[in-house]
Amino acid sequence: MKKQEGHGKNRGFSLIFSIILVFCILGVVVFSVARRISAEMSLSAIHNLSESLGLIKGTTEAILVKEAEFQKLIAQEIAMVEEQENFIHSYNKNRTMVKISLIMAGETEGISNTGDVFSEEGLDFSSGKKVEELPISQSYLNQMGTWAYTMKCPVVKDNEEIATLYVEYIYDSFDDALPGSFYNGSAMLYIMDAKSERMVLKPKGMGERVAGHLNLQDFYRSNNILEEELQAEVAESIHSGKDIMFYHDIRGKDSLIYMWAVNEGAIYLIGYVPIEAIQQEGRAVNQNILAVVMVMLVAFLLCCILYYLNQRQQNRIRKEQEAEREVHNKQLAEALQAAQIASKSKTTFLSNMSHDIRTPMNAILGFTTLLAKDADNPVKVREYTKKITASGQHLLSLINDVLDVSKIESGKVVLTLGKFTLNNLVSSVDAIIRPMANAKEQVFDVSVTDIKHEYLVGDETRINQILINLLSNAVKYTQNGGNIWFRIIGQPQHSSQYEHIRIEVEDNGYGMTPDYLKTIFEAFTRAENSTTNKVQGTGLGMAITKNIVELMGGSIEVFSEVGKGSLFRVDLELRIPDEQTDREFWEKSGITRILAVDDDMENCRNIQTLMKNTGVTVDAVFSGEEAIRRIGDAFRAGQGYQMILLDWKMPDMDGIETAKWIRVMISDPLPILFLTAYEGEDMEDEMLRVANAGILAKPFFVSAFKEKILEMQSGQKGKRVMAEAPAGNSIEGLHLLVAEDNEINAEILEELLDVEGATCEIVENGRLAVERFEKAKEGEFDAILMDVQMPVMNGYEASRAIRALKRDEAGKIPIIAMTANAFAEDVKDALDAGMSVHIAKPIDMELLKKTLNQWIQGKG
Amino acid sequence: MKTVGKKVIMKSVGILLAGITAFAAVGCNGKTDATKKLIAIKEDEGKIVNVFGPMEKSKPNADNVARTAFDMTVSMAEEKLKLTVEYRTYTAENYQEKTYDDVVLDRVRNNMDDFYLLNPDSIKILGEEGKLLDLSDLECAKNIRDVVKAANTIDGKLVAIPQEIVAYGLFINKDMFDRYHLSLPNTPEEFLECCRVFKENGIETPVGANRWWLETFVFAQAYAEMYNGGNTQAEIEALNSGDSKYSDYMRPGFEFLQELIDKGYIDAKAAYTYEAIEGEGPDFLAQKTPIVMAYWGAANADTAYGKSDFNMQVIGFPSSLGQMPVVPITGYAISAEAEHLEDTREVLEVILSDEALKTYSEINKVIPATKNVEVDCIPALEPLNKKMEEGVYVLATNASMNVEQWGNICLIVRELLNGATVDECMAEFDRLQEESLAKDS
Repeated sequence: MKKQEGHGKNRGFSLIFSIILVFCILGVVVFSVARRISAEMSLSAIHNLSESLGLIKGTTEAILVKEAEFQKLIAQEIAMVEEQENFIHSYNKNRTMVKISLIMAGETEGISNTGDVFSEEGLDFSSGKKVEELPISQSYLNQMGTWAYTMKCPVVKDNEEIATLYVEYIYDSFDDALPGSFYNGSAMLYIMDAKSERMVLKPKGMGERVAGHLNLQDFYRSNNILEEELQAEVAESIHSGKDIMFYHDIRGKDSLIYMWAVNEGAIYLIGYVPIEAIQQEGRAVNQNILAVVMVMLVAFLLCCILYYLNQRQQNRIRKEQEAEREVHNKQLAEALQAAQIASKSKTTFLSNMSHDIRTPMNAILGFTTLLAKDADNPVKVREYTKKITASGQHLLSLINDVLDVSKIESGKVVLTLGKFTLNNLVSSVDAIIRPMANAKEQVFDVSVTDIKHEYLVGDETRINQILINLLSNAVKYTQNGGNIWFRIIGQPQHSSQYEHIRIEVEDNGYGMTPDYLKTIFEAFTRAENSTTNKVQGTGLGMAITKNIVELMGGSIEVFSEVGKGSLFRVDLELRIPDEQTDREFWEKSGITRILAVDDDMENCRNIQTLMKNTGVTVDAVFSGEEAIRRIGDAFRAGQGYQMILLDWKMPDMDGIETAKWIRVMISDPLPILFLTAYEGEDMEDEMLRVANAGILAKPFFVSAFKEKILEMQSGQKGKRVMAEAPAGNSIEGLHLLVAEDNEINAEILEELLDVEGATCEIVENGRLAVERFEKAKEGEFDAILMDVQMPVMNGYEASRAIRALKRDEAGKIPIIAMTANAFAEDVKDALDAGMSVHIAKPIDMELLKKTLNQWIQGKG
Repeated sequence: MKTVGKKVIMKSVGILLAGITAFAAVGCNGKTDATKKLIAIKEDEGKIVNVFGPMEKSKPNADNVARTAFDMTVSMAEEKLKLTVEYRTYTAENYQEKTYDDVVLDRVRNNMDDFYLLNPDSIKILGEEGKLLDLSDLECAKNIRDVVKAANTIDGKLVAIPQEIVAYGLFINKDMFDRYHLSLPNTPEEFLECCRVFKENGIETPVGANRWWLETFVFAQAYAEMYNGGNTQAEIEALNSGDSKYSDYMRPGFEFLQELIDKGYIDAKAAYTYEAIEGEGPDFLAQKTPIVMAYWGAANADTAYGKSDFNMQVIGFPSSLGQMPVVPITGYAISAEAEHLEDTREVLEVILSDEALKTYSEINKVIPATKNVEVDCIPALEPLNKKMEEGVYVLATNASMNVEQWGNICLIVRELLNGATVDECMAEFDRLQEESLAKDS
């Protein structure tokens, strides 16, 4: 790997090196091209400069020639006139010829057009320079304060030189013929008199202050041209009238200095031009080349960046894919591991199941063998059948749990939401668990605290299942004489629309090991130890419980310690139905003020909390004495109570005694409800002996309270709300229509009904059931027991058909579904099909009897 | 974060590509339409005004050339009036050649240029010849200091206006005065005493002089009372009429100079050959000479005495009325027959305006010709400035005097340096006065 990284680095360096190399080569090529262009353009520029100077020189010489020719013409004119003096005097100066003078032959002085006496003195013709054969003087500063020169021309008459004509010209006249701006004003140009080396004209638009405008030496000094050799060479060239051009630095700029001879070196065009000025085109070309190269470089860099970004993105995608693959592999590995564990669990489970199923099956088969053998001994038969029943029930619960788990795990469980009261929930659970706890001499304590809303929306059946699972486990795994606490605690609401309740099931039983706690909610696991092995179970209960809790959006947790007990805590949030309070009921009942008497402050507070939204004022006192005092005060103040909730068991003065005192103190038979969590015929009797009194089971629920009020108002007294056991479940004399396709089942049912004194008529399918009911006489059948899965027409269809019949009974006759389809949705389907109630197979005769009684009485 | 960075990169790349495309598009657009005129003929630049002065013009685009204060004001005029001021110049190569003043006289007389920078003597000569335009009706003339009007008015015409008032003074090495416990001299006697002390203490030449400016001592002593006595005009009229003699005014100054020469306080031979500042300047800066004379601007210019290593003070020249600044007035004058007369008047209106003179005087740190602009001076110039502000000074030029002063006295002092006696010098004054009287008559 390291080697690969090293290799990658080397490759990166090579790439960078290659790019740099390419750039360097490109740079060298561009540089050489630029240099070449620059050199060629420079040569061309120098050539152009030479041509320009040649042109200026030509112009200047042309002016001089024209001047000379014109002077000759004047001389000829003078030769022809008689009065030469007048001719001279009559001349008016112009911009070129500012003065003309004439000296007659043989004389040293003459006349000028200015009127002054003129002599050649002061004019220097010693240089011998001529223009068109006319001698030209050295430059001088004339009477106008400007630089001038004079040409002299012989005046010839009849081949005899009679005089000499002197004409003074000023250099200013050249100005108009010279360029107004030379190399865009960056070049310098003077006209220099060669002999005196004086600068005699600086054309307009040229020159800078420090350029040295005085003479050649000043020009050298100002422009720092101090090389003696160079100066000597220049002097030699000027002396011989040659053109000179050389490079020199002028104030930090590389410049080209030129000295161009005019009129065979009589005067010189002298000046300089910075190289950069004459190479403007070359520079522009180079700049353009540079710009193109820069653009190309930028484009190349952009490509590199884009390539780099693309590569980076590709790498990232690849890494992401690799990471994803790794995650998948990990997940697969975990899944495999989980599958293996599950497989192992299932193997274990199957082994357990095999054991657990075989055990009761073994018992059933064994006892049936014994039953056959001891058929004549009724005592033994009864004993065997009892044991067979127990084994069968165990087997059934085992099958139910397995089916429940499979259903939950396949995600087919649907919650059936409906309105329910906590009162009913607690009552039904209490009814099931309390007998179990009593059987093991365990103390079963139920408490409900801080619940604000008693009516809630949820799947009551499933919540019931959770509670039964937890509580039955608690009973199962707690030794005889142990304690079991069942608590429903109201929690702070997260939303005003939901009641947050916490269900706690605590025991001081065997407890669980930490290892087992980790897997307690997994299916097919079961606490294994010498103690619990004695307890029969499928090991599925907790898994089912957890799944249901989570299905409801709640959470479950468990705390346990071996030998000390366990605590299961379930948190659920259940929706509060829209119509929670029933103020009208309380108004109609005339109850506006009640007194709660309980030594347990918590209970009083619960009552106040639950009654909060009813509009009823609940006062609370914590002892009998206090209650008596409070009632007396209220009575005297004319604000008497309409109901007293009186805890039966209180220290010092108990409920019954307090009630008696109340009755003594107030003649009005104020309704009193004794709150009690204890059962006992004696106690009940004693309580019911108190006039206008009733018993209300703890924990306090508004719904139960309301029922009790209604009961008391309608005159029924003394029945426990919670333990509402049926008085008698006899079905003797009933005649039932049974739709059952299975002959054995039908036979068993018939026999069982017969044992109970009821009769039945069996049909094989739904169609027949419908037909039979249609033909039956009015009141012939008390109810219909309907199997669901049947040939020809199933139970649902049959029920719908029956309900659709045009008979008075069709809508009223109880149709009881009896089916092995025992899930909640099956119950729902049954009810939807018009059936009255659902009973799961195998048939529990007690339940059937109870249900029949309930429905037939209801009908009645 | 990464996404944002990527977006920024993509945006930048997009902008760059768009820029390159635009650049290329602009490049393509440069192609000339062959059906159109190939070359745009540049129209003539237009109006031109010619100035003749001793200096070349520095171009606005000239590299690394600090433009002079005058060029700045010219540039203001060019910009404002949309014209070009063309400079023409002349510098004498040697003493044998025509001087600038000679050339300027010729050029004005031949109407070669539009306006000129003239020295006091040229102003007087050309003014008297009527070659110069009366500038009194210029707007800028209203703000000009009275001293200018007094010096440059000829026959009731204001013929030249300068940009600055040039005051001459004594440049003193105060450290050396302090070293010998000398107070700054007010009178000629005190000055001589200072020189004596310096001489005795080994200072070979207490006064550094050149061939041009020794006349300032003469002016201070000659005219201190005339210009500060309240009877100036009458005294000048007396001189012009010959009732008073210039030689009488000049004698004390010349005798004073003679004494300085005789006592070796001035090296006459050296002074006769020294150019201004070039000659005596190095010794003054090297603290070998405690006293020199120079113009106001020399105290600011780095090329003159602007960077001295000692405590320098600039005071007036000794006179009977105390320290006395000497003020020669130059000026810009317009040729009476200038080719571009109106444009030239406009140019002068700009370059002599308060705004232009403010710029000029701030750059050069000099006294502006306008009375509306005040400029702070450096501490060394405070004594001289104080006198100027008090109105205590002597004019070295006066166009209303028949005998030109600044040029003539300079030449006569030079004769003194060359060995002439005071009497001979006075005789020269008498001759000049007689010449002028004869001319008038």
